[in-house]
Amino acid sequence: MQRLLTATALLLASTGLASAEGVLQLYNWGNYTSPELLEKFEKETGIKVTVTDYDSNDTALAKIEAGGHGFDLVVPSANYVQIFSEKGLTVPLDLSKLPNHANIAPEWKDVVWDPGRTNSVPWQWGSVGIAVDTEVYKGDVNTSAVWLEVPDELKGKINVVPEMNDIVSLATMYYGGQPCSEDLEVLKKARDGLLAAKPNWISMDYGATEKMSNGDWAASVNWNGSSMRIREAKGSVVYGYPKEGYTLWMDSVMLLKDAQNVEEAYKFLDFIMAPENAALISNFAKYANGIAGSEAFMDPAMATAPEVVIPEEFKAAGVFMPVCSEKSREYMTAIWTELQK
Amino acid sequence: MAERRFSATRLPGFATIAMLAFLALYIPILTLVVYSFNSEVTMGNWGTATLDWYAKAWANADVKDATLRSLTIAGFAAVISTALATMAALGTTRRRAFKGQTFIYVMINQPLMVPEIVTAVALMILFGLIKTVTGVHGLGYLILAHAAFCIPFAYLPIRARLEGMDLTLETAAADLYASHWHTFRRVTLPILMPGVIAGAMLAFVVSLDDVVITEFVKSAGQDTLPTYMLGQMRRQLTPEINAISTGLLLVTIAMLTAFFLLTRKKD
Repeated sequence: MQRLLTATALLLASTGLASAEGVLQLYNWGNYTSPELLEKFEKETGIKVTVTDYDSNDTALAKIEAGGHGFDLVVPSANYVQIFSEKGLTVPLDLSKLPNHANIAPEWKDVVWDPGRTNSVPWQWGSVGIAVDTEVYKGDVNTSAVWLEVPDELKGKINVVPEMNDIVSLATMYYGGQPCSEDLEVLKKARDGLLAAKPNWISMDYGATEKMSNGDWAASVNWNGSSMRIREAKGSVVYGYPKEGYTLWMDSVMLLKDAQNVEEAYKFLDFIMAPENAALISNFAKYANGIAGSEAFMDPAMATAPEVVIPEEFKAAGVFMPVCSEKSREYMTAIWTELQK
Repeated sequence: MAERRFSATRLPGFATIAMLAFLALYIPILTLVVYSFNSEVTMGNWGTATLDWYAKAWANADVKDATLRSLTIAGFAAVISTALATMAALGTTRRRAFKGQTFIYVMINQPLMVPEIVTAVALMILFGLIKTVTGVHGLGYLILAHAAFCIPFAYLPIRARLEGMDLTLETAAADLYASHWHTFRRVTLPILMPGVIAGAMLAFVVSLDDVVITEFVKSAGQDTLPTYMLGQMRRQLTPEINAISTGLLLVTIAMLTAFFLLTRKKD
């Protein structure tokens, strides 16, 4: 028993001392970090980055709140950035250590959830819009009418992704409201609209990439990255940005308060804001990154894709999901439950 | 059919229900295995048969790291939990029935009763505190956590073996002036060995497959194979995950087969 205890103590201690120089602990979504990026970073700085995966913002938040996690950097979604900083789990960034901070594209510098970008730096972002096969439907694709007041050509051929936040928000915006609305009148319109439109949808399902590529569906509410892959497989598919409003998402990197490798973390943060490195992130996961000038280093097909680069005229209609109030979430869930029946 | 003994197998619909149950159990697993050979990236579309995903998983450094870590944790956890379970089993069976016996059983089997998520959150909070205060990280926490929930899995087969064992053998050894330790070493333990090995293997498999507790307890750089797979969920799942799952399945089946061979009654 004595020996067992000693062995256990040694084991506990052995890896504990590993916070020596030259390592960095990144806590990120699974399958989201470009191995090429980490290799290049290690080659240039000698710092070895270890990535640990999580599968939801909630898991990441719970583990970091419990303390003693050993991570240096975390990559929460936009509506979680504020939660992390308000709870004091992350620290404001010392911008003097981040010369590349200036590379953040103007539209990503002053974001609602982090004004001035003092708490987080961009990792990747994307949008939720509508992929439409123009061989089937020739009308305007840049409106939520495509799926809420389904035109005859698309009846029984359009799919809607089963993502509560995005779908209810898109519908609310179509009927003149904002995401997280508590306005019962608008919400009622949104609910009625969704319920009336549903019989015209073929399904509420994932998998648009393959089902639209092989022509099973003629349209779908869908993510931009997936829509780009569909277009590459089937040239007649275009991606529409609803002018009434569509949702954006962004994941950003934050520095944890109890980070052990702070200097290394700053080096990494600065590193990923260099355009050529940000492009590596995008090339791996196929979403845009928010760093100006990175297009020059991206796969050419991505750098010019209308799904990745939002056309100027539609930029204003994109909104981020804020942190919704308890009440608005209740309404949203109620609408969603009714829609699922 | 002179003698009609009751047998469940003769009840109407027995075969049908049994077949349906087997189908429900094995069809999903079979589907998973079949699609691990699919050349197409997306799961619904069948392309041609290929071993590419296995090659890809094999070459994936993250998968390799996670696998090694899983095996290390499972190995240590199996040894620790089996040692403790053997002691517990001896303590609860090699004696006359005593007051509070049931209570002790329940205590030992607690990890089987308490929802895993509760244990996971409790461990996360406790270990979080310890990690913050001591600054000591390392794989030890995961090993301890796994050892703890593996104890009942190791305990049950060992106890079953002990209960079928003749107490008089030990009395005979004592009559021949064998010391307690000698009796245990030369009589009890050899007879008990198949139970101990079976318990260890069951503990190993249970530790290898654990997701919930590991996800909550793991520190930086401590992904195991199951938590690595869980992490892949946000982006498109490729048949590489099927290939990894099939590998994990094979290890589990091998261990369970060995478990079965060791525990079956030799008449």
